[in-house]
Amino acid sequence: MAFLAPWFLLLSGAALVPLLIHLLRRRIGVQVEFPAARYLARAERDHSRTLRLRNLLLMVLRVLAVVLIAMAAARPAAHVGGAGHAPTALAIVLDNSLSTAVVEGGTPLLDGLKQMVHDVLASATADDRVWLVTADGAVRGGSGPALLEELERLRALSGAGNLRDAVASAVALVEASGMDARQVVVLTDGQRSAWTEPAPIRSGLSVLVHAPDRSAPPNRAVALAEARPARWTPRGTIGIRVLGADSTSYRMALGERTVGRGTVAPNEEAVIRAAPVERGWTGGTIEIEPDELPADNIRHFALWIGPPPAVRAAPGAGSFARNAVEVLRASERVTDGGGPGIAVASADEAQRLPALLFPPADAVRIGAANRALERLGIPWRYGALRREAAVARGAQLDGVTVAARFLLVPHGVPVADTLARVGGDAWVVSGPGYVLVGSPAAPEMTSLPVSAAFLPWLTDVLTSRLHTEPGRVWHAAPGARVTRPSGADLLEGPAGGRTALSGASFDAPPTPGTYFYIQGARRVGALVVNPEIEESHLERWSADDLRRRVASGGVTVERDRDAWVRLAFQGASRRSLIVPLLLAALLLLGVEMAAATPSARVRQ
Amino acid sequence: MGTAVRADLHDPASLAALGHVEIVARWIVDGFMAGLHRSPRKGFSVEFADYRPYQPGDDLRFVDWKIAARSDRWVVRQYEEETNLRATIVLDVSRSMAWSGAQLRPLGSTQAVRLTKLAYAEILTASLALLLLRQRDAVGLVRFDERVRSAVPPRARTGHWRRVLAALHEPGSGLASSAPEALEQAARLISRRGLIVLVSDLLMEPDAVERTMRGLRAMGHDVAVLHVMDPAEQHLGGTGEALFVDPESRLEVPASVADVRSAYRATVQEVIAEWRSMLHSVGVSYETVVTDRPFGVPLRRAFAARQRLP
Repeated sequence: MAFLAPWFLLLSGAALVPLLIHLLRRRIGVQVEFPAARYLARAERDHSRTLRLRNLLLMVLRVLAVVLIAMAAARPAAHVGGAGHAPTALAIVLDNSLSTAVVEGGTPLLDGLKQMVHDVLASATADDRVWLVTADGAVRGGSGPALLEELERLRALSGAGNLRDAVASAVALVEASGMDARQVVVLTDGQRSAWTEPAPIRSGLSVLVHAPDRSAPPNRAVALAEARPARWTPRGTIGIRVLGADSTSYRMALGERTVGRGTVAPNEEAVIRAAPVERGWTGGTIEIEPDELPADNIRHFALWIGPPPAVRAAPGAGSFARNAVEVLRASERVTDGGGPGIAVASADEAQRLPALLFPPADAVRIGAANRALERLGIPWRYGALRREAAVARGAQLDGVTVAARFLLVPHGVPVADTLARVGGDAWVVSGPGYVLVGSPAAPEMTSLPVSAAFLPWLTDVLTSRLHTEPGRVWHAAPGARVTRPSGADLLEGPAGGRTALSGASFDAPPTPGTYFYIQGARRVGALVVNPEIEESHLERWSADDLRRRVASGGVTVERDRDAWVRLAFQGASRRSLIVPLLLAALLLLGVEMAAATPSARVRQ
Repeated sequence: MGTAVRADLHDPASLAALGHVEIVARWIVDGFMAGLHRSPRKGFSVEFADYRPYQPGDDLRFVDWKIAARSDRWVVRQYEEETNLRATIVLDVSRSMAWSGAQLRPLGSTQAVRLTKLAYAEILTASLALLLLRQRDAVGLVRFDERVRSAVPPRARTGHWRRVLAALHEPGSGLASSAPEALEQAARLISRRGLIVLVSDLLMEPDAVERTMRGLRAMGHDVAVLHVMDPAEQHLGGTGEALFVDPESRLEVPASVADVRSAYRATVQEVIAEWRSMLHSVGVSYETVVTDRPFGVPLRRAFAARQRLP
């Protein structure tokens, strides 16, 4: 028997009242004259045994009545015998995350879990309300047969889902059901990395958890597959890392074409260099040999491949910027060839876009610089010079120190990305065809030109932001919420199908792969969907740890499959005992009244 | 007090509130006599005198069954008095008699206002004495508590009743009841066979009483015992817990009224049965007199006892 409000058991302390009255009754001090006291004494003497028994009986009845009322107030529920079960609100949480697709004993673990759900649904009655909640938070309700059909269609997710939230949803469902018998049952592989925080559950709710007690099989997975940089002009590298116990062979593909094979050591990052012939936005994969969990043996990446941009560095950009451009040119990341190309210049000498612009080293030229910016249609102006030591914050530029900077003042409401900030002010901003820096590329103004981050940052700016082919790569887990890039109208899938995008964000596709953002008729970026790497760590919780995953006093972890199925409706047969206890208390009080009143009915 | 409502059938407490013992006793006896067709000289003796309607308490030996069979009316035969009985009333005036159920009010008892047992017994005694005197019987009185308080020898003279009344007003309320001594004193006051009526709450040891009763019966006296009880003594009203104190012996009994009431009632019935059995075994008539009953009832019992005598 469990109590849903156990603190009300403190009321049973009131049972001391009749007990104390019984023990202290002879100390009550009303005194009356009564000539026939000798008859009273004789009555007590002659009937002492009966009177003692009767008083004891009355005391016991009163104490029991108080205790029963206190127990009823504590909302008791207990398993009561008999066939079947009371009408029950039952929420079945089925962990169908990627890790449950692992093959154990020749069968996917998920199939075994589904069979258990099947058995539980088979024992549900028409009076029950049953929901099936999966790890992605999807809730399926309805009749038993309908749920069985849903169960048959159910497949493992391509990602981790969120089992904790799924359990919380299940709890909310049964608690909102209004039914007395409520039960949440959880079927999971007990993966450590997937269920890290306890599910918030009202104390006392019956939760039955099953997870296999055997160890998970060893697993290999591709943990990393990343194009570096994301835009190849036209050469680049792919960083890969494989989880596992041993070295494993891999295959790298771009599109459908295999571009490389090799062997990689476990848990170490490897770099694969390539100069493919493909052009434009392309998807690729790193794939290893299959094992018990095939879903994480392949990982997708995306990259843009194209000719290097033409870049011209103006004298006003400073020697450090000019030298950096020369280095990129020497490594064929950029060229100085045909066409105007990208300008790297001081803002006061800028003539055209696209351009990477620094403020002039001489503050006297700021007015000319602002006029040039206005002429080029750049919605920013250089404001006052501020000399104070500060540290920049922003992608690739974290830790760069700034000694002096011109405030970047927006003109109107610019459509721009802030790439770095100093204090609360924008320091590097980017818009259509321009990147504007708040400090000249001089060491006395900022450490940027002499920092290790300068060359990669410059490469990214020139090849990604200012290149005539715009776009970048986003990463997401299956089903995760993704912010829609501005200008992206469609999402093109790996098979070529396209989905219209609207709103500020959307759910990432549930299937891993490389998806491309489409603007107009061209690809403007890529969305790479891969499962969370945590799903590849198959280590499992112990029973005690699993119990701690559910913050409920009524949690039971049952490792045995048949026992779990048998106990699935335990919460159902754990019926509320409030009414029986109150009836019992009423009966006791009736008996007490009957035992106490024969003498009270006599004539007064 | 008119004749429309007979005083002997009236509520005792209401009746007693209307006047002194002397007046009340006269009303009672007048009412009682009216019930006897206003014929104080007619009793249940030897010479037939008249018929009167049957009343509860009349001796069934004197019912005229022939008339009952013919006319479906119950009548009793009355006879001319011939003898002059010598009767002594022995009245218990101990402290236990000066009690009524009103003293249980602290326990929530809701009894109506009632006479104390002593007040009831005194009116009953005065009425009985007057009734006997009107039948030209000699009447005496012995009052006692732990000792004999007063003794009035039996006389049949006019004016003797006032002497009896005066004796009733003498002090009493001792802390014990010594009935044997009083009964022996009453026997000494009667020179020949006579009637002794004991009016008491019988809160005393029955063994000594039994021995004395046997002695009185051996002397040829007829004895009647009127056991005076308050209704609260019979039923133990009220609720709650209390320390019950015997005003005479100071015996203290703590008890919960509701818990012990049933056992107490059974005990009282046992005590009554024991008294009745013991007294009947020695040839003494016994009646319980409850102080909420009209005086006519015990008067008729006592009068019937007298009528059984020659």
